[in-house]
Amino acid sequence: MATKSEGETKLIPEMPLKEIEKMRNTIKSASMKAIAENIERMKKAWSDRPQTMQYFDEISNLFGQREEELRTQKEQGNKIIGYTCMFAPVELILAADAIPVRIGSGWYDTTRLGTRIVPSEVCPVIRSMIGAKMVHLSPYLELSDAIINPLTCDGKTKLSEIIGDDKTVWTMCPPRVKDSPQSKNLWNEEVRMIKKKIEDLTGTNITGKRLRASIELMQKATRAFRRLQKIRKGPPVIMGRDAMLVNQTSMWDDIKRWTEKTEELCDELEKRANQKAWACPPETSRVMVTGTPMIWPDNWKIPNLIEESKPQGLLVVDELCSGDRLLHDPVGVDEWTMSDMLDAVAERYLLASTCPCFTSDDGNKDRINRLLDQIKEFKVDGVIYYVVRGCILYAMEYARTKKILDRMDIPVYYLDTEYTREDVGQMRTRIEAFLELLEARVQI
Amino acid sequence: MEILAEILKVTIVVGIILAGILVILIWIKNQTKKISYLRLFIQIASVPVIFLGLIIGPFGLPQFPPVGNAPRDALIGTNLFGAPFPDGLSMPILACYFPSGRTVTCAIWQIQAYIFPFWNTGLGFGWGVYYTTTGLERLAIVFTLVIVMSIVLGRFFCGWFCPFGLYMDLMIRLRKTLKRRYWKLSDKVNTGLRQLRYVIIAAFLILSFVFGAQTIVGLQLVPGTQRGEFVHDYLSAPFCQVCPMKPLCVLTESALGFMDPTAVFAQNTGLLYEAGYYVTSLNVAVLVLVTIGALAYRRFWCRICPLGGLISIFNRFPPFKWISGIRLNKIEDKCTKCGICKRVCPPQVTDVYEERGGDVTSPGCILCFRCVEMCPYEGCLEIRVAGKPIYKSRNWLEGLH
Repeated sequence: MATKSEGETKLIPEMPLKEIEKMRNTIKSASMKAIAENIERMKKAWSDRPQTMQYFDEISNLFGQREEELRTQKEQGNKIIGYTCMFAPVELILAADAIPVRIGSGWYDTTRLGTRIVPSEVCPVIRSMIGAKMVHLSPYLELSDAIINPLTCDGKTKLSEIIGDDKTVWTMCPPRVKDSPQSKNLWNEEVRMIKKKIEDLTGTNITGKRLRASIELMQKATRAFRRLQKIRKGPPVIMGRDAMLVNQTSMWDDIKRWTEKTEELCDELEKRANQKAWACPPETSRVMVTGTPMIWPDNWKIPNLIEESKPQGLLVVDELCSGDRLLHDPVGVDEWTMSDMLDAVAERYLLASTCPCFTSDDGNKDRINRLLDQIKEFKVDGVIYYVVRGCILYAMEYARTKKILDRMDIPVYYLDTEYTREDVGQMRTRIEAFLELLEARVQI
Repeated sequence: MEILAEILKVTIVVGIILAGILVILIWIKNQTKKISYLRLFIQIASVPVIFLGLIIGPFGLPQFPPVGNAPRDALIGTNLFGAPFPDGLSMPILACYFPSGRTVTCAIWQIQAYIFPFWNTGLGFGWGVYYTTTGLERLAIVFTLVIVMSIVLGRFFCGWFCPFGLYMDLMIRLRKTLKRRYWKLSDKVNTGLRQLRYVIIAAFLILSFVFGAQTIVGLQLVPGTQRGEFVHDYLSAPFCQVCPMKPLCVLTESALGFMDPTAVFAQNTGLLYEAGYYVTSLNVAVLVLVTIGALAYRRFWCRICPLGGLISIFNRFPPFKWISGIRLNKIEDKCTKCGICKRVCPPQVTDVYEERGGDVTSPGCILCFRCVEMCPYEGCLEIRVAGKPIYKSRNWLEGLH
């Protein structure tokens, strides 16, 4: 827009380059330290970590191998398309030979920068991303040629105005009610619009053949992902944190390589399951986490605390859009025609989603059902309902979830926190108390 | 010639059996266990069974005057099933009465034809059939058979045995080969069509009475008929004159040489429909429309098929609903409402998606189990036979190559 280029409506304040660089380096080194520390702690808690996990450790370094790869790809002329939320149809990006990367922001320190633009009431995930944009911290955000921003929650809606200062942002508008025909039409149109934009940016025509190939690629990733999740249903052969890390790396890794490595890891884990080589005592309390996404690297405090506290807990499964929800649902195509493939892709992102941004007559029953199924399948002993301040949608769904889980006699604990390291001590006490409760409880 | 024909028959029978064993073996061995393949095989295999008369012969050509000895009717009628089934076993599938060699008969034709005069025994509709039972008794037999079959299998007949259903599926395959997309009817229109089935049933029953009126009051609506006689005319079965299956069967058999085309078209009553006794112009028009419809919309005819409606009445409504044999069941917790079941459903049934859980079989469902096959959540959808799950949805991603 013309006005924007004049700088009048720019929200990100102009700062001297030197200052930006200084701040970036400080935060970056803190972040790299956090990554190394998290991995070190994971290694310590699980002494015989499989060899394959080393790959995921490397990929999890946001400023390492993957950044280099993307830089080389970009130099070769490939387009990189970032997305902020899992509503973005990754299949279409892959079909145009562009590289999809999810821009999640787990940095604690950048939230403080974000408060310079938006009030501190705003969800810290958003503030963190704004802060990261201010100091050009996130390599994936900076490398992206365009960013797909689905307007799921209020934070995401306004986020595009801020990061749109010097980035191309494509918004996608998901309806707030899933089932009605007009919602479906709207979303189908949005997906087709994004397809057109991707085609225009990359100059690659998304043909039926290409789209089919990318759908099948993602289906294979889903298969590997589900295989890992299925292994987690049994006695513990992998620690929850490690599995979560594997899941999260799928957001920015090359998906084909990620699939291969995950299958490799699953082979190893299945072998261990046969040898009964458990990662932790099988009687460890099985904890599930649901709520606001937990994003690598800084916001790893809850998984760390659960699996390191005394008594120990096992983070057996999560219902987070940065975890189990990432690749759980496949695109199911009936006929491999362009229109059916696009419908299938659109439906996979809209209908299968259990995001709390939706509402329905029965109070987003889809999400409750998913939780109940996971609780049964993963033999969950207790649920931690994790909400960061400002994450209104998840916070508001707590009441109903609590009611239904109470009826099922599943203990649920509401853990509200902020993007900060300062409350770790308090969190530890709260989590330990909950885990003690779980340990003391006798299932009847 | 005789020997050649014998060899041909034996080859066809042996071939079908071998192909069947092969398909089932592949199906069991293949991890994906695609039920669509099994269904296609059963659909194709049931065609020769329905028209078994053509293979085990001797089949007769249609003769005129209609009263005569045509071996096909002798075979399928009294000889095979005994005197109570002079026109063959009635089944809720569109196994048309008019062509040669069919072993079973569409229940709709029988219901229409037996309504008048229901108190009478006597000479049947040409072709040397003699009814030893009254119309009322025959109707009782037909309804007993249809109700029992509907309760036990329901619209499983539509998805797995009906030859016209196979024709609809072949149209889908044809469209796929032409790489064309399918269209969707809006849910409202689709529900409307589903309701229309019951209206069609009511309409042809009423019309059967009206056209049979001459047998009671002598009001001659159809030329050349007499009071107290059977309606020796195609108007005895009004629905058959618009049904798309009749021309399909008769024309196919004529083309293959099982029927004499000249005889098929020779008989003309000179009424509304100028084409002839076997195939009326209305028939052909409907067939053309339905074929075009089937190329655009999946399983187009099955949404308005009155026979399917008849099965639905005896399967999906109380008290029949409480004892129906095959059901589609959904486990609520496992469903994320991803919408795949709704999208892949050929007759666009939405109940499987919309219903929360439990028995999700609906009157529009043809039990083709495409949704169960495509549901990506293990054990979410399942087929229950007499309450026992026999086939469950599974993580089909495991079968990807």
